[in-house]
Amino acid sequence: MGIAEYQAYGYFGLTAFLVFALYSYIYHLYSTDKKDGGHDYENYSNIALNDDISDAPVSPISDDKEK
Amino acid sequence: MENRPLEYDYTVAKMFMFTTVVLGIVGMLVGVILAFQLAYPEVNTILGEGLAEYTNFSRLRPLHTDAVIFGFTFSGIWATWYYVGQRVLKVSMAESALLMFLGKLHFWLYLVGVAAVVVSLLMGITTSKEYAEFEWPIDIAIVVVWVIWGLGLFGLIGIRREKSLYISIWYYIATFLGIAMLYLFNNMEIPTMLATNAAGESGIGAWYHSVSMYSGTNDALVQWWYGHNAVAFGFTVPIVAMIYYFLPKESGQAIYSYKLSLLSFWGLMFVYLWAGGHHLLYSTVPDWMQTMGSIFSVILILPSWGSAINMLLTMKGEWQQVAASPLIKFMVLGSTFYMFSTLEGPIQAIKSVNAIAHFTDWIVGHVHDGVLGWVGFMIMAALFHMAPRVFKREIYSKSLMATQFWIQTLGVVLYFTSMWIAGITQGMMWRAHDEFGNLAYSFIDTVTVLHPYYTIRGVGGLLYLVGFLMFAYNMYKTMSARPVEESELQSASPMGA
Amino acid sequence: MFHWLEKHPFFFAVGVFLVISFAGLIEILPNFAQASRPVIGTAPYSTLELTGRHVYIKNSCNACHSQLVRPFKSETDRYGHYSLSGEYAYDRPFLWGSKRTGPDLWRVGNYRTTDWHENHMKDPAGVVPGSIMPAYTWMFTNKADVDTAYAEQLTVAQFFSVPYNKPVPMKDGSAKVVKMGNSVAEANALALAEAQVIAADMKDQNVKDAVARGEIPEIVALIAYLNSLK
Ligand code: HEC
Ligand code: HEM
Repeated sequence: MGIAEYQAYGYFGLTAFLVFALYSYIYHLYSTDKKDGGHDYENYSNIALNDDISDAPVSPISDDKEK
Repeated sequence: MENRPLEYDYTVAKMFMFTTVVLGIVGMLVGVILAFQLAYPEVNTILGEGLAEYTNFSRLRPLHTDAVIFGFTFSGIWATWYYVGQRVLKVSMAESALLMFLGKLHFWLYLVGVAAVVVSLLMGITTSKEYAEFEWPIDIAIVVVWVIWGLGLFGLIGIRREKSLYISIWYYIATFLGIAMLYLFNNMEIPTMLATNAAGESGIGAWYHSVSMYSGTNDALVQWWYGHNAVAFGFTVPIVAMIYYFLPKESGQAIYSYKLSLLSFWGLMFVYLWAGGHHLLYSTVPDWMQTMGSIFSVILILPSWGSAINMLLTMKGEWQQVAASPLIKFMVLGSTFYMFSTLEGPIQAIKSVNAIAHFTDWIVGHVHDGVLGWVGFMIMAALFHMAPRVFKREIYSKSLMATQFWIQTLGVVLYFTSMWIAGITQGMMWRAHDEFGNLAYSFIDTVTVLHPYYTIRGVGGLLYLVGFLMFAYNMYKTMSARPVEESELQSASPMGA
Repeated sequence: MFHWLEKHPFFFAVGVFLVISFAGLIEILPNFAQASRPVIGTAPYSTLELTGRHVYIKNSCNACHSQLVRPFKSETDRYGHYSLSGEYAYDRPFLWGSKRTGPDLWRVGNYRTTDWHENHMKDPAGVVPGSIMPAYTWMFTNKADVDTAYAEQLTVAQFFSVPYNKPVPMKDGSAKVVKMGNSVAEANALALAEAQVIAADMKDQNVKDAVARGEIPEIVALIAYLNSLK
C-alpha cells in the first residue's frame, strides 16, 4: 500500500472523527442548560460585560475547590 | 497588605498602543509610496538616484508588508491582549511582578526585533519568502519574543479568578499556537555557517545567510500553508478576539449567541488550515491538494460568516447606536468588510475564477479590503475604546473621529474598486487571443492600461493614511489635552466634541 | 467533557493544536519525497548563477515577477512550456512569486539576451516604452557576493546531496557536470571565468573594466542567472 493510500485513509478517518466531535459539541451546547448541574452558555457573555476587577466572576475558581 | 484598591494595570498595553500608532504610520506611508511608484515610476528615485537602491519599489515592498503585519497588526493584537486579558480573567498584572516583568521584556525585545527587521530589509537581506523574509538570527529573536508572550499569556490565565475562559481568550490562545507552529515549520533553514565550518573553512560569505530546508514545489507548499494561515492567525483570529470583546462592551449588548461564537471557533480552526492550497492552483503541486484548497476555501465561508453575523446581530434592536457613535460605526463596518472579504476570497479560490484572478491586482485588492476595512478599522476601534480607560480621559474629539471614519471608508472603497477593475482587466488581457489564435496583447499593453487604476488606488491609500494620521492626533490629544476623569467607565466611551 | 476542556487551558490548547496541525500533517508531509525529484535536464546552479540568484532575491524581483508558467494556452504561448514540479528541485527558496506586475521569467533565458538585459536593467522604459519597472543602475557598480553563493553551494551539496561535480543527465542524452570549487579562491576563479563570457557581450565600459580587473559587478551575475532560466 502506497503512501497516498495511507494519506487518503488518514484524511477520511480524521475528518469523520472531527465532524462527529463537532456535532456532539453542538448537542452538548444546546442540551446542557436543561440538565441538572448544567449551565447556560449564554451567561458567559457576561464575562465581558461585567469585567470590573471588583465584579463577581461568572464562574469563580473557588467553586471548583469546594467540590 | 496594600491600602489602595486593586486596579488593572495597563502599563504594557500603553506601550503597545504606542507602537501600533507609530508602526501603523510607517507601514502605511510606505504603502502609499509603493502605490505611487506603480503609477509614476519616477517615485522610485524619490530621494535621488543615489538612494534609489533603498527607495525603489522592490526593496520597499517587503518593508510595507512586514511593517503593517508584524508592526501595526501585532502591536495592536498585543495592546488589546494586555488590556482584554486582564479584564476577562479578572486579574491584574499588578498582582504578579513576574508577569509584569515578562510583559515589559516582551515589549522591549519586540522593539529590538523591529529595528533589526527594518535595517535588514532595507539592506536587502531577505529570504524572499513573503511575510517570512527574515534570516535566521532574526527568526530566533522572533521565537524568543513569541515564547515570552506565551509565558505571559498562560501565566495570566494561570492566576485568573474567572474559571471559564471568555471566547476572546480562546482566540488569543489560538493565535499564539497557530503562529508558533506555522512560523517554526516555514522557517526551517540551514545556516550556511554549519556547512562551511564543517568543511574546515570558517566564515565564508555572509554569516547570516541560510538555505531553506525545502526546495521548489515543497517550499512553495509550506510557504503558502504558512502564508495563508499567517493571514488566518494574524488577520482573522486575533481580530475576532477583539471584536468579541469590544463590540459587546462598547454597545452594552451581550453577544447575540455565545454558543454560535464557540461553534464558529472550532469551525474556523478546522477548516482554515486546509485552504492554503488555493494559492497554488494550476501550479505543480498535486491536483488533489489544489482541489482540497478550493473546496475548503468555500466551506470557510460558514465559520467566517458565523462570527460576522453574530457580531452584526449583537447590535439587534440597538441600531441607533451605529448612527450615534463613530466607534460603533468602525466596528460594524469592520464586520461588514470581514463578511465581504471572506466571500470574495472563496470566490477567487474557485479554480476557473482563479485562472483569471491569480497573479493579478485583484488579489491585492482582496488583501486590502480585508486589512484596511476589517483589521485596520477594528484595531483603531479597539484603541479608541481603550484610550478613555487606560488614560482615564474622554476621547479628544468625536467629530474628528466621525470625519476620519468617512475619509477612510472612501479610501478603502477607492482602493478595492480600482484594484478589482485593474485585476480583471489584466487577467482578461493576458489570456485574450485574436481571430488567428495569436495573443492579442503584448505584455506592456497590459501594464500601461493600468495607469489610471494605479493612480486611483494611490489616492485611496493616501486618504486612508490621512485618516490614520487623524487617528494618531486624536489619540495624542486624548492623552494630553483632556482632564482626568474620576469614575471608572462602563460601556459607551465618552467623547468630546 | 467539552465543558471540562473549556476550563482547562492547557488541555484546551492541546485540543486546538491537534485540530490545526491536522491539515499540515495530511496535506504536506506525505508529498515531500515525490515532489523533490529533479526532472531530466535540470542541473544545479553554477557559482555565478547562484550569485545572480542572490542578487535577484536581494532586490525582491519576485515582488513583481512570477516564475511559474501555468498550463493554459495563453501562458504557454507567451512564456513557453508550462512548469514541471521537478524543474524546481534545486530552487531553495522557490521564487514563484504571487503577482505579475511584470511578465513571468521562468523561461526568459529562451528569448532574451545578455545585451538586451543590460540595456533593460539600466533603463527599462528606454527599452520598453511605458515600462514601470525600476531602473537598477546600482547593480552596475555594486560588487557581487560570490563567497556567500559558494557557502550556499557547500551547504546544499552537504545537506541535500545536490550533485555538484557529478554528471547530471540532460535531455539530449548527454551528461553535464556543474563544477563547484574546492576552496573560496577556486570558486571565485570559476565565477570569474563565467563572468568574462557574459561581459564580452556587454557594452558598459565600467563593467568590462571591472571584470578585466577580476571583479564581478552584480549585474553580470544577475544576467548569468536570467540566462540560465530556460
Ligand atoms: C515594479 C515592478 C517590477 C520590479 C520590482 C521588477 N520588474 Fe522586471 N518588469 C516589470 C515590468 C512591468 C516589465 C514589463 C515591461 C518591461 O519589459 O520593462 C518587466 C520586464 C522585465 C523583464 C523582461 C521580460 C520579458 O519577457 O520581456 C526582465 C528580464 C525583468 N523585468 C527582470 C527584472 C529583474 C531582474 C528585476 C529585479 C532586479 C525586476 N525585473 C524587477 C516590472 C518590475
Ligand atoms: C495606507 C494604506 C495602504 C496602502 C496605500 C497600501 C499599499 C500597498 C501596495 C501598493 C502593495 C503592493 C501591491 C503590489 O505589489 O502590487 C501592498 C501590498 C500589501 N499590503 Fe498594503 N497598503 C496599505 C495598508 C496595508 C495594511 C494596513 C496592511 C495590513 C494590515 C497591508 C497589507 C499588505 C499585504 C499583506 C500586501 C501583500 C499583498 C500580496 O502579496 O498580494 N497593507 N500594499
